[in-house]
Amino acid sequence: MAVSTVYTVLSLNSACSISKPNKTHLGFNQKQLVFFKKTTTITTTRRATTVITCSAGDTVVIGLAADSGCGKSTFMRRLTSVFGGAAEPPKGGNPDSNTLISDTTTVICLDDYHSLDRTGRKEKGVTALDPRANNFDLMYEQVKAIKNGVAVEKPIYNHVTGLIDPPELIKPPKIFVIEGLHPMYDARVRELLDFSIYLDISNEVKFAWKIQRDMAERGHSLESIKASIEARKPDFDAYIDPQKQYADAVIEVLPTQLIPDDNEGKVLRVRLIMKEGVKYFNPVYLFDEGSTISWIPCGRKLTCSYPGIKFSYGPETYFGHEVSVLEMDGQFDRLDELIYVESHLSNISTKFYGEVTQQMLKHADFPGSNNGTGLFQTIVGLKIRDLYEQIVASKTGAPLEATKA
Amino acid sequence: MASSFTLTSLNPCLSFRSISNGEINSTKKIMIKMSMITPSSKDGTRSKAMKFKGTQMREKKLTEMIEQKVVEANQVCGEDETSDECKVAWDEVEEISQAKADLRLKLEKLQQDPLESFCQENPETDECRIYED
Repeated sequence: MAVSTVYTVLSLNSACSISKPNKTHLGFNQKQLVFFKKTTTITTTRRATTVITCSAGDTVVIGLAADSGCGKSTFMRRLTSVFGGAAEPPKGGNPDSNTLISDTTTVICLDDYHSLDRTGRKEKGVTALDPRANNFDLMYEQVKAIKNGVAVEKPIYNHVTGLIDPPELIKPPKIFVIEGLHPMYDARVRELLDFSIYLDISNEVKFAWKIQRDMAERGHSLESIKASIEARKPDFDAYIDPQKQYADAVIEVLPTQLIPDDNEGKVLRVRLIMKEGVKYFNPVYLFDEGSTISWIPCGRKLTCSYPGIKFSYGPETYFGHEVSVLEMDGQFDRLDELIYVESHLSNISTKFYGEVTQQMLKHADFPGSNNGTGLFQTIVGLKIRDLYEQIVASKTGAPLEATKA
Repeated sequence: MASSFTLTSLNPCLSFRSISNGEINSTKKIMIKMSMITPSSKDGTRSKAMKFKGTQMREKKLTEMIEQKVVEANQVCGEDETSDECKVAWDEVEEISQAKADLRLKLEKLQQDPLESFCQENPETDECRIYED
């Protein structure tokens, strides 16, 4: 351990945050400087340790737009699982916090940036979907700070009480995910995102999922569920839906086409729409990149049960952008179907053969584990890991370039 | 409290063909098969995960709020369906429904009480009294 005496620190690089740990654990991390300060008071000599953490701004920021609430469990847990470790709410803090933290990833809920609490929104006649209920200035400032390696005190919106609670400290993680209704609404925030995803659920599927979610509740009925969706639709279409044109990846969930006159809503058709030309992001493809493919894996080598599985892949245009679309209709019934499909996909950024299958099995009890939603969420997680590693590699590569010059 | 999954008594019908963009047809045509719905956990499983009084209080409060807010929304929208008040009322219903669902998910799928870590640090609070069924 190197010890040197430092006398004054007038101003710190904005990329540094200061914390006073209660216990001096002195676990060394190359980015930490431990300041050991002696203070003499009249009666005692106290020693204070201040730890200054400079994280050199290597936080990667991901935006996820989704309608149904935060801690949206399934997608987030799959994503954090890809990086390793389980995401937990911050220990010992506000139990109604919406934040999830794992070793590498922190996920925050953008509802925390509501400028109006439930009463305020009622008074102004404004839904949570409305930009007027959200403080985009604060959102931008704080996401920018995190990206630059500075910890922030972020407000907490309490979904139970409908009030804005005292803030919690968010420290810059390796991967910072902002999840909610408006991650891509404000242009300044959009600029900060290294990658963005929009979860586009079709009306029919949304209705089916909400019935699944609410039908058992005492106060709800089909009518109330339907009325709630319809009442929110105008604001949703005006403020939330347009964000999908900005997303680097869109996961679109539709009813199946495999079952004629299907009215069960059990089998889903999921499309992974991937923008071309996004830095560090190479779209997943089937067989031959840039061509158009239609593939039914079930046949001689693989036996599937009804209604089977159908894939398609091809280039398309989406809101004026060039995109590649990978689509899966149907569902997996057996492990070998999953591994067979995985072995035929390219550019999935796995670190070993079978990684996608392994990740899917890990969360086999989560909804979507047997269809395209789970599959594509897992793949997007792997692509984000790949993107993160490329960004970090490019940053460490830069100083070497400078010394060579 | 009634189990969250008394689905055996349900038999509404859902027809995708008849659902056009933005419009949802008459409820008589709506049908859901049992297989579509996530298998229910038995009540025993849920009580096992629910450990603290605070969680039980939250769950109860959310349930009551859903009922109350649906009634409110129906009232407000009865007067003027296109008003801002109507939109906001249903948005509140959505918010509470989602909060309740999140709590249920934590208890059932993750088998953990959300107050676990808070109560480790603050065992003396009212919320952290052990819940007994």
